[in-house]
Amino acid sequence: MITVTLQYYAQLREQAGSSGEQLTTSAASLRELYDELRVRHGFTLSADALKVAVNAQFSDWGRAVGEGDTIVFIPPVAGG
Amino acid sequence: MKHFSLSSTAFDPAQLRRALQHPGSGGFCTFEGWVRNSNEGREVDGLEYEAYAELAMVEGERIVEEAIARYGIIAAHCVHRTGQLKIGELAVWIGVSSAHRDEAFRACRYIIDEIKHRLPIWKKEHYLDGDTSWVACAHTHRAHEHEHLQAYEQTSEPVFVPDYSRQTRLRDVGEAGQAKLAAARVLVIGAGGLGCPVLTYLAGAGVGTLGIVDGDRLDASNLHRQTLYDARDIGELKVQLAAKRIAALNPTVTVQTFAEPLHAGNVADVFAQFDLVVECTDDMRSRYLCNDAAVLTGTPLILASIYQYEGQLQVVTAKPGAPCLRCLWPQQPAPGVAGTCVESGVLGPVAGVLGAMQATEALKLLLDLPRPVDHALLLVNLLEGSSQRLPIDSAQGCALHGGCIEVARRALTQALEERAVDLAFDDFDEAIAAGYTLIDVRELDEISAQPLPVQARSLPSTQIEALASELALGRVLLVCSTGRRSGHAARSLREQGMHNVHSLAGGIAAMHPARDHVPG
Repeated sequence: MITVTLQYYAQLREQAGSSGEQLTTSAASLRELYDELRVRHGFTLSADALKVAVNAQFSDWGRAVGEGDTIVFIPPVAGG
Repeated sequence: MKHFSLSSTAFDPAQLRRALQHPGSGGFCTFEGWVRNSNEGREVDGLEYEAYAELAMVEGERIVEEAIARYGIIAAHCVHRTGQLKIGELAVWIGVSSAHRDEAFRACRYIIDEIKHRLPIWKKEHYLDGDTSWVACAHTHRAHEHEHLQAYEQTSEPVFVPDYSRQTRLRDVGEAGQAKLAAARVLVIGAGGLGCPVLTYLAGAGVGTLGIVDGDRLDASNLHRQTLYDARDIGELKVQLAAKRIAALNPTVTVQTFAEPLHAGNVADVFAQFDLVVECTDDMRSRYLCNDAAVLTGTPLILASIYQYEGQLQVVTAKPGAPCLRCLWPQQPAPGVAGTCVESGVLGPVAGVLGAMQATEALKLLLDLPRPVDHALLLVNLLEGSSQRLPIDSAQGCALHGGCIEVARRALTQALEERAVDLAFDDFDEAIAAGYTLIDVRELDEISAQPLPVQARSLPSTQIEALASELALGRVLLVCSTGRRSGHAARSLREQGMHNVHSLAGGIAAMHPARDHVPG
């Protein structure tokens, strides 16, 4: 099990009810982690609609989750 | 210095030219008006200019001063002849010297157009057949780039001379920077929450030409974040309101208005007329369309969007190898995926913060101020007071699909083909008369709140794909509040081969703009 820091933006923040959290997970990849979070928070957006960044760098969904990573999920927003 | 003179005898342009030489000038532009041998089909032997000298001197001086202030040029002079002139003689001479060529050309053009339009000078033409006639020089009035807002200009009031000292004092700006701004042409797409601060700051900074694109009318629900407008403006076209406010804020700015949203058929042509584009709509389609046009025309684009208490900012420099919007999110999200202000709400100043950041980025690009060399998506969270800059790796974006230019070209081609999907009608009766079966794709509670004035079948957009087989076989027109949901549904159905399906462009809002407008 590893512990990561998660940050949520836009619709994800709204659905999670917070801007972020610390989470202990067994997810192997970012995609697995996001699937876990969809169940946990009821996120309506699929991973394909999002960008993900790890430690302030955009990342691939296949990337392994590392201990202490800060992971940010970013949906596109349209307001203006 | 005196900038304008009348001369009753022939004069030497070389001497005037020397007087305009300046160590800071990198460009000199001159215009000469000569007497030609015909006017409106009649052969002319020569002519005679008569001026109301006192007034002409004051007005001529004012015109050249306006050009200097407006375009930030270093020096200019204009001489107009009076008295008898022969064919080929010099009638008007204008010289402009400036740091850069663009403002020299434009100031020169401005001066001659205004001279022709405003100076109290008449010419008496001597025709070969012995006849003569007086012609007011101001009779040839036509709209030039600087005259779009003639109606708003208070020409009877003293000429406003802008004072940019607070920004020219910045070492990286200076007079040379001010001249760059005066020569700059910036297109602002969307005059809403983001567009209001962008327009305000760019006009205040003295950007020479501002283009504004917006098809919406002001709604009361816009006022909490759209700071250019007030309660008396409700129901008016935003482009006109914004143009009026800019003319009041800085009359030296030229405003061009576009009261229809840009579309795949004209977006590249419009972009090519501007140095920089700032995208400020709440419409994902516009963002992607602008991205593609920016990449294809090489026009830098500043994108921002807001959601509740947050915002995102991306500068697409449109230079080879630089990432674009599609490098992050390759496909335009379906409606409902990307949150909008209408659906999700937004705190007014969030739009102000992000719009002010867009204006800052625009000025940085126009003034060539120091910017980070890498490209990034900036995330701003105003609840937490935090921001995060995420570098974008171009190699992981469009580069994997043929490069930004190829991706943009394919997308714009597809958008052009899809244009046939969105149809505009003046009213519903017209659509019915044209043989369309109307289908209302709004949710039931929306329909009961605002029923259509004509008979239409209800089939909510969320269910329409599943119920596609129930659609009529003839021409079908899908209708929603703004044209977004109906447009998306029509495109999805067309992908299933149903090419008889169309969408009402602009939705119900476009039918009754003043009364039933749905705010953007």
